[in-house]
Amino acid sequence: MSEAPILSVEDLAVGFTGPDGRRTRAVDGVSFSVAPGRTLGIVGESGCGKSVTSLAVMGLLPRTGTSVTGRVLFDGRDLLTESERTLRDLRGDRLAMIFQEPMTSLNPSYTIGDQIVEAIVRHRAVGKREAAERAVEMLARVRIPEPARRFHDYPHRLSGGMRQRVMIAMALACEPRLLIADEPTTALDVTIQAQILDLMRALREETGTAVVLITHDLGVVAEVCDDVAVMYAGQVVERAPVEELFRFPQHPYTVGLLGSLPRFDRARGRLAAIEGTVPDMSRPPAGCRFAARCPFRITRCETMPDLVEIGGDRATRCWRAPLEELAA
Amino acid sequence: MLQLIGKRLAQLVPTLFFVSVLIFSLQHLMPGDPALVMAGEERDPVVIEQIRKQYGLDQPIPVQYAMWIGKVLAGDLGESMRLKVPVSELVAQKLPVTIQLAVMAMLIALVLGVATGVLSAVKRNSAWDWVVNVVGLAGISTPNFWLGIMMILLFAVHLGWLPASGYVSPFEDLQRSLATTIMPAFVLGTAIAGVIMRHTRSAMIQALDSDYVRTARAKGLSERTVVWKHAMRNALTPVITLGALEFGTLLSGAVLTEQIFSIPGFGKLIVDAVFNRDYAVVQGVVLVTATTYIVLNLLADIGYILANPRLRS
Repeated sequence: MSEAPILSVEDLAVGFTGPDGRRTRAVDGVSFSVAPGRTLGIVGESGCGKSVTSLAVMGLLPRTGTSVTGRVLFDGRDLLTESERTLRDLRGDRLAMIFQEPMTSLNPSYTIGDQIVEAIVRHRAVGKREAAERAVEMLARVRIPEPARRFHDYPHRLSGGMRQRVMIAMALACEPRLLIADEPTTALDVTIQAQILDLMRALREETGTAVVLITHDLGVVAEVCDDVAVMYAGQVVERAPVEELFRFPQHPYTVGLLGSLPRFDRARGRLAAIEGTVPDMSRPPAGCRFAARCPFRITRCETMPDLVEIGGDRATRCWRAPLEELAA
Repeated sequence: MLQLIGKRLAQLVPTLFFVSVLIFSLQHLMPGDPALVMAGEERDPVVIEQIRKQYGLDQPIPVQYAMWIGKVLAGDLGESMRLKVPVSELVAQKLPVTIQLAVMAMLIALVLGVATGVLSAVKRNSAWDWVVNVVGLAGISTPNFWLGIMMILLFAVHLGWLPASGYVSPFEDLQRSLATTIMPAFVLGTAIAGVIMRHTRSAMIQALDSDYVRTARAKGLSERTVVWKHAMRNALTPVITLGALEFGTLLSGAVLTEQIFSIPGFGKLIVDAVFNRDYAVVQGVVLVTATTYIVLNLLADIGYILANPRLRS
């Protein structure tokens, strides 16, 4: 990476205590960083801690029953030690987020214009009129037709794809330095997905915003990301530039994920699935969390491997890396 | 939106017709002959027959209904057989009293209920939440008459701060009017406050867990704006409906409370009328109450439409 990262997460761990007193470690040992103008994909299956990680970065996790440790360095300051007040000043301004559910993420009782204006007025010393002009301009930038008219529409008048554009307009209205997008296209039709991804890519190029894109979809990763962090059972298990990851995956879980992608250039048969299930995170195994499902398992896997740099901007959490020799 | 409101208005007609038939027939199912009651000690069959004729009681029931509803539509609710006063006059006299009481009670209920409901949703599962829920439940389950008597004992008898009973119109003397109505209004209001609190709490909890509240927080809005603007606006719609219905209940006569505080309102009027078999008064009062209730329901629906952009367009 050429530039200093705008966001650098180090050894992030999040634990929840349920009402029954049971502790669940949703995330631990998560480290990644993203530089201005670049897109980092965080991939993994449901429940692997992707969303919890993003909410922890934003400081949006519920405060009761939650413990967050590690460091979240944003623009040189550790967000985990900042006051709620400082975080509020950053959120929506230099740190923005869009969510998976465009249908429910906008308040049904206010016009989309009002909701964008609210974000601008909160962070910029501008009047309502000026903010409204800015909001219309943002709606135009996310390619919403007739933005000045749409400004007065309530969310229910818009389709899911249009609502996600509004969310993006709102998030980018104050020109954030980092945009976290949590499964932004999962709830949308495939054609709309492509449009939204194109839009995000174009806007990133225009604004130089760093993007953290959270997804379970490797197709989306290949499409828009520069770098990837693969998460499994609350940990980052592999980190790599995107082409490298697809060419030479260095963690057995990544290998399994790539193997489960349908491909046209192979004979039709059953899709490869990863055998077994994700471990219970209230009682995670002491060793490698993937060991129980791993075809390359050895006795050493009973102790937890670290996420180690293996050169070429890559890191993996596997005793047996590099995996090339095992392929035969 | 106008179409929607028009449709609701059109629905009023059959509802009111049905209610009027119901009121009229229930009246005739009540035991006892009003002509006999009016004749009093004098059991002269000629007099009784004359009374029957005078009030149309000798006509077939459908004819009696037609006569009655025709007059009602003309604004004539008949005459009290006992007090020899037009029923509409009685209604005009007593209804404002009950309306004053109901408005005061509703204000108390809304302020207490919404504020505590929101706070207990925000601080859910805290000691505060627990206390509010216990007090709220106590408010719902405490019988009005008991609370009323206790308040009279404390504030009127022991402390002497407030009059124990009676009523003064606010147009005569506002301060004394408030002094005479604050206790009954509080008794009525707290019972409703509990219900409103519980509804507000659950609607707020749902709203606070919603995606749009997360979006509002992600914009960096203060917790106050998030709670009182974004969550509240959506949580209040069911509370509007509930409030209107409860208001209707209040108007239909706080029978017990008015008795205890000797407030000459609707509740007292109807109780007296039933005991005296004063047909015309019972019919008139119930009809006015039912109409008010239905109109309030309509207003609640319109309020719901206005508060909900999906229905507005």
